Amino acid sequence: MKNIYVLAEHRKGTLRDTTWEALAAARTLAPQFGAEITCILLSNDASTISDRLVQEFSKVIAIEDPSLETFNSDACIKCLVSILGDKSDYLLLMGNSNSVIELAPGLSITLDAALATDCFGFDVVDGALCALRQIYSYKVNALVSFKGAAKMVATLRSGSFPFTPTAQAGGSVEKMESPLKSEKLRKVFVSYEEAEKGDVDISTAEIIVSVGRGIGDEPDMDVYQSLADTVGGVLACSRPIVDKNLLPKYHQVGTSGIEVKPKIYLALGISGAFQHVGGIKGSPLIIAVNKDARAPIFRVAQYGVVADINDMVPALEEKIKEIKG
Amino acid sequence: MKIITCMKWIPDTSEAELSIASGGKDIKKDDLDYDLNDWDRFAIEEAVQLKEKYDGEVTAISVAPEDAEEMLRECLARGADEAFQIWNDAFEGSDGFVIARALAEFIRKRPFDIIVTGTLAEDDGGGQVGGMLGAMLGVPSATLVSRIEIADGKARFRRELEGGLYENIEMELPAVISVATGLNEPRFVSIRAVRKVASIDIPTVDLDELGLDESQVGHSGSRISVEKVFLPPEGEGAEIIKGSTEEAAARLAEILKEKGVL
Ligand SMILES: Cc1cc2nc3c(=O)[nH]c(=O)nc-3n(C[C@H](O)[C@H](O)[C@H](O)COP(=O)(O)OP(=O)(O)OC[C@H]3O[C@@H](n4cnc5c(N)ncnc54)[C@H](O)[C@@H]3O)c2cc1C
Ligand SMILES: Nc1ncnc2c1ncn2[C@@H]1O[C@H](COP(=O)(O)O)[C@@H](O)[C@H]1O
Repeated sequence: MKNIYVLAEHRKGTLRDTTWEALAAARTLAPQFGAEITCILLSNDASTISDRLVQEFSKVIAIEDPSLETFNSDACIKCLVSILGDKSDYLLLMGNSNSVIELAPGLSITLDAALATDCFGFDVVDGALCALRQIYSYKVNALVSFKGAAKMVATLRSGSFPFTPTAQAGGSVEKMESPLKSEKLRKVFVSYEEAEKGDVDISTAEIIVSVGRGIGDEPDMDVYQSLADTVGGVLACSRPIVDKNLLPKYHQVGTSGIEVKPKIYLALGISGAFQHVGGIKGSPLIIAVNKDARAPIFRVAQYGVVADINDMVPALEEKIKEIKG
Repeated sequence: MKIITCMKWIPDTSEAELSIASGGKDIKKDDLDYDLNDWDRFAIEEAVQLKEKYDGEVTAISVAPEDAEEMLRECLARGADEAFQIWNDAFEGSDGFVIARALAEFIRKRPFDIIVTGTLAEDDGGGQVGGMLGAMLGVPSATLVSRIEIADGKARFRRELEGGLYENIEMELPAVISVATGLNEPRFVSIRAVRKVASIDIPTVDLDELGLDESQVGHSGSRISVEKVFLPPEGEGAEIIKGSTEEAAARLAEILKEKGVL
């Protein structure tokens, strides 16, 4: 692989951390392959964003177009094809953000490239790049090869590639003509929308009792609300609980929900998928109750109990009441 | 309106104890129950709700072995009008690219307005098939869609970004729409509903009908290949509190007290 391209991601005029994490991954891989790192910036106004990029990238290729203000996958594919279409021997790295989740699969077909999504690490086996991914409900790790493809695309799990800025690249920006000028896009952005806010704000809560799919299909929510009340906390949940309409969206912890930073986070019947755990990184004390000793939540928790929550929850509430007197 | 929905048949690993199969390239699957991918339950429901709202027909398709017929039958009970099962043993070990290709070859000959898929499957966690299928068929696609309306030959939908932010998008049809979990409430399927569709034929489709040969599917047709699987190391992790329910509960309560929250 001669070139590693990093797609800069931005939203509402600001660069997103996924950009830097992708650069961090590129920096560990580039020396192993003797590859050159280039940033690709697709935006409506490159100047403000590229100032920061050239501190870390020696080369930035930029396309400017009004329709690139938001992340339009249709527009992005056309631009990326105009930049990469005639190239081979490359790896394109992008964060596995909700925007890229939409872009990457179609892009890989249009570029005729091999795609590995949601990679949390890389390895080089017999000189060939392999990616680490998680499969089977994120419970099993897999080492995946690109089968010798000359064009590779990989999307990266957020939080997996920590970035240290150097601010020393002193790079330059090469502007390319937008391929979008004459083309009609099949997809247009209309507006942003914020999730509805509710009567509780879990983002500021000090104590959170959080429930996951382990509460079963027809749970008695009062049991968990009662425990939350007894410890003086609020009730929160994982995504499937919101999907099943057991609690409103503003109770959901995680990357597509709310980031919380309580003093204590009590996770009941939550497996600990990274999208969930991504929302509780700021919590100093995580306590998990799960009947599966191998549940990933135990890897981020400080204390764990391997037990059935149906037994544990009433017993715990009882003990807390005793202490409180 | 012609609606096609793509359904994946996957082993349920959410609560199972998993172990690695000999060869080290997959897990042991013999003892696992198979079921419809959770995201696809929302996809078939959305397809049927679109049909009910805008009038049309729903076709459910799966690239899956024989056993998956019951899943497609369940899709009929959920409101699909017809179902097709694409299979040949050579599909074993296929990646998302191969699956998308097979679906594309099958769909190419059928006019459609919308293809509804899940965004992601819980077995490979790939999130590849929907977008690839769109690109192969030359139509636009969208993922993580959490609300859909159709008007003037266009889809207006909301898709999920991070942190409780959404974007509203307008997209030309035909198109592929990959849904997010939670966008609807999948209906309950009674045994009676399944019985009602028992006589509907679910045709099976083989490679030759797709114009593909064995080398283009399975491992040999795939663009990525699993070289090794392993269970994540247990690592440092939590201090596990042992003892009876009573004892563990007492210890937890004590910890809460020590932390000054009671
Ligand atoms: C783009 C995207 C965004 C996402 N955003 C989020 C998000 O913001 N928040 C989020 O939470 N998820 C999110 N997810 C989903 C995430 O990947 C997981 O699917 C989800 O977090 C799983 O929820 P869970 O832990 O409740 O369920 P499961 O993974 O099904 O886990 C249930 C757990 O309960 C245990 N259990 C079962 N019964 C009992 C019992 N009786 N007693 C004790 N334990 C029991 C099981 O052992 C298991 O570990 C997102 C996914 C995607 C693709
Ligand atoms: N074998 C298959 N047959 C039919 N549809 C599939 C198949 N595999 C994946 N899909 C569809 O593509 C979506 C994403 O799957 P994946 O790319 O495997 O994560 C699923 O939610 C299904 O809607």
